Amino acid sequence: MGKAAYKVKDGKMIKIQLALENKKIKDLKITGDFFLHPEETIEEIEKNLRGHFLSMEELVHVIKETLTSKRAVLLGASFEDLARCIIMAGERND
Amino acid sequence: MIEEWRLLDTGLNDAFYNMALDEAILIARSKNIVPNTIRFYRWRPPAVSIGYFQSMEDEVDIKTCDKLGIDYVRRRTGGGAVYHDTEGELTYSIIVNEKHRLISRNIQETYRILCSGLVLGLRQLNIPAEFKPINDIVVYGKKISGNAQTRRINIVLQHGTILRKVNPRLMFRVLKVPSEKIRDKLIKSIEERVTSISDILKRDVSFDEIKKALIKGFENSFEIKLTSGRLTDFEEEMTYKLKREKYVMKEWNFRR
Repeated sequence: MGKAAYKVKDGKMIKIQLALENKKIKDLKITGDFFLHPEETIEEIEKNLRGHFLSMEELVHVIKETLTSKRAVLLGASFEDLARCIIMAGERND
Repeated sequence: MIEEWRLLDTGLNDAFYNMALDEAILIARSKNIVPNTIRFYRWRPPAVSIGYFQSMEDEVDIKTCDKLGIDYVRRRTGGGAVYHDTEGELTYSIIVNEKHRLISRNIQETYRILCSGLVLGLRQLNIPAEFKPINDIVVYGKKISGNAQTRRINIVLQHGTILRKVNPRLMFRVLKVPSEKIRDKLIKSIEERVTSISDILKRDVSFDEIKKALIKGFENSFEIKLTSGRLTDFEEEMTYKLKREKYVMKEWNFRR
C-alpha cells in the first residue's frame, strides 16, 4: 500500500492511499480538505481510476472525464494535482 | 418590498444534532416548506468536525476526544477539520435556493458573496475583515473564519465558524499532528496564523454582540430582512431521523 500527501500551492491538501496490481491501480482512496461538488463524485473517480496505469496523461483523462460526465466541480486542487499525488503514492508502493 | 429570510438561533447542541439540522433545513428548503434561512448555533459538548473527503482516523485523535468528552462528526461539506469550542466559537449556516440572485454558478464567487455578509458583520464590530479565497475570512492576514459549502437538490448550504477566542493548545490535542516533535511548532504557527474577535478587540465579546453584528452584516450585504423564526415539525422530525440514521453512525463518520 502506497501513501502520499500533497499540499496544492494556494490550494488544499490531497492524500492518497493506493494499492497496485501488475502496475495498475487495484484500489485507491482520495482524502483531503478540498471541495468537490457534488461530493459523491469522489467515489466515482476512485472507481473509474481502478485498472489504469500510473501515467499522468491517463489519470488526468479519467478524472476529467468523470468530472465532466457528472458536471462536477473541483475546488482547491486541479486534475493534475490529483494525478500527481496518485503517482507519488504509486512510487511509494511496496 | 424587502425580501424576508428566516433567522434561527438554535443555541447549544451536540455535533450530530447540529449537522443533522443543517441538512434537515436544506431538505425542507428544497421542498419549499421553509424560506431561505440563516441559523446561528454552538456546540456542547465541544466537537471536531471533519470535511466530507477527510479520513477520521487521519485527522482526529479519537482517544483524546473520548477522554475529554469531545464529539467527532463528518460534515456534509468538504474542507478541513475544525475544533468547535463551546465558548470559543460561533457557527452559522446559510440555506438558500440555488436560483437566488446571490448565488452564482461559480462556486468560488458564491463563497465571496455569501462571506461578504460575515465580512460586513465583523466590520460592524470595527474588525477590518476581508475575504480570502478559497473559503476563509482573515483580519490582518490571520484567519478568523472558515467556511464550507455544498449544493444539493437545488439548494446551497454554506456553514462556517467565527472565532470568538482561540485555544490552539486544545485544538492540537484533538487534531492529529504528523509527529509529536512538531506539535509545539504547530501550536506556535496557529497562534501566528489564526486570530479571534476577542484577540483583536482586546476585550471579552459576548455571543449576543457578535450575533447582532452579523445579523446587520447579512441584512445589509444581502439586502434582506432577517425575521426570527422557529423550526417546523418537518425539520425537527427530519433532524432526529438524520441524527439517528446518519450523523451518529460509524458508517458515516468513518467512511473515509
